[in-house]
Amino acid sequence: MRFRFCGDLDCPDWVLAEISTLARISSVKMKLLCVQVIKDLLDEDIDYEKVSKLTSDAKFESGDIKASVAVLSFILSSAAKHDVDGESLSSELQQLGLPKEHTTGLCKSYEDKHAALQQKLKESSLRLGRLEVVNWRVDYTLSSSELKEVNEPVVQLRLQSQNPESGSSETSVVTVGAEKFRVLLTELKQAQAMMNALQ
Amino acid sequence: MIKLLEKITPTESLKFLHRVVDGLCGRSYPRRIEYGEAWSLTEFGELTNSLSKFFTVAVGRKCSDQEVQELLGDLDSAHAAVVLQCVHARQEEIRLSLVDRTNGISSTQLQDFNWQIKLALSSDKLSSLNTPLLNLSLDMKENGLQRAVNIEMNKEELQTLISALEAANKVVLQLK
Repeated sequence: MRFRFCGDLDCPDWVLAEISTLARISSVKMKLLCVQVIKDLLDEDIDYEKVSKLTSDAKFESGDIKASVAVLSFILSSAAKHDVDGESLSSELQQLGLPKEHTTGLCKSYEDKHAALQQKLKESSLRLGRLEVVNWRVDYTLSSSELKEVNEPVVQLRLQSQNPESGSSETSVVTVGAEKFRVLLTELKQAQAMMNALQ
Repeated sequence: MIKLLEKITPTESLKFLHRVVDGLCGRSYPRRIEYGEAWSLTEFGELTNSLSKFFTVAVGRKCSDQEVQELLGDLDSAHAAVVLQCVHARQEEIRLSLVDRTNGISSTQLQDFNWQIKLALSSDKLSSLNTPLLNLSLDMKENGLQRAVNIEMNKEELQTLISALEAANKVVLQLK
């Protein structure tokens, strides 16, 4: 069987197996566990003490705790990745054997954080370099060994960008003459207009 | 050395001088093969060198016609008139090329830039990404060496860059 939340593929066996682990804790506790897992997915700190407290009633061993966090993490991130709505997710999870009260709680938390999860996934998508910092300075050249009276402005640019291969920042400092600078700015504005038109 | 110019007629000289200025402004210098009969290899080299130097000095120091005449020394008047004519015609162009050289002193210069807009459709994290991205490639020249820097920007990052450049542009415009 194919599931939308798995990207129209079969549900992985381990997920199938661990759904029965989830069913062992109460639906209320599972909803609270969802909140913690979502926190983790959004890069906020997950409270492991709370997680183990939530699962203590069901006599979870550490392996079970890890498995339930992993399976919730998979379900939530995969559903957000494939943009599945809460209702569809709920019905698919019920087909996989998760009790109705559990799915309702899970999908409620999912729907609440759907946009935030997608935003997070968007931000963490592969990027080949990004611009971090721009600094500039405008100089007015008065005279030089080449030319007695220059009297031309030049722009010094310092661009700090992320290297796509190493992930570390690298900076480049470049001097741009006034005319070239004007062309650069105009073209970047054209590009920006095109980008804005795309959305 | 500029006296070597007298080996060709003033009309031919004018064409030759313009080719030298072309070279000075980053296009191609005249080729010796075209003037093989007038000058030997060393003479040709010396002449183009001293002419380049002459144009640089004449424009760089903003010499008056009188001073240009002095720089030319004992060149005959017909040829000197042609040289002067060439200086007048190409003055601004030579000046811009000297400004360019000035900008290149002890700094990395932007030579060229190219950009490309892409729409990122999907990724391993999100199946429908639909994010426009701009790739900016800056060709820079550092101590005669070419170096390229590539930056990928999303809309927000591009906005940051444009705001910064606009602020700088405002100052540049005030100076004009």
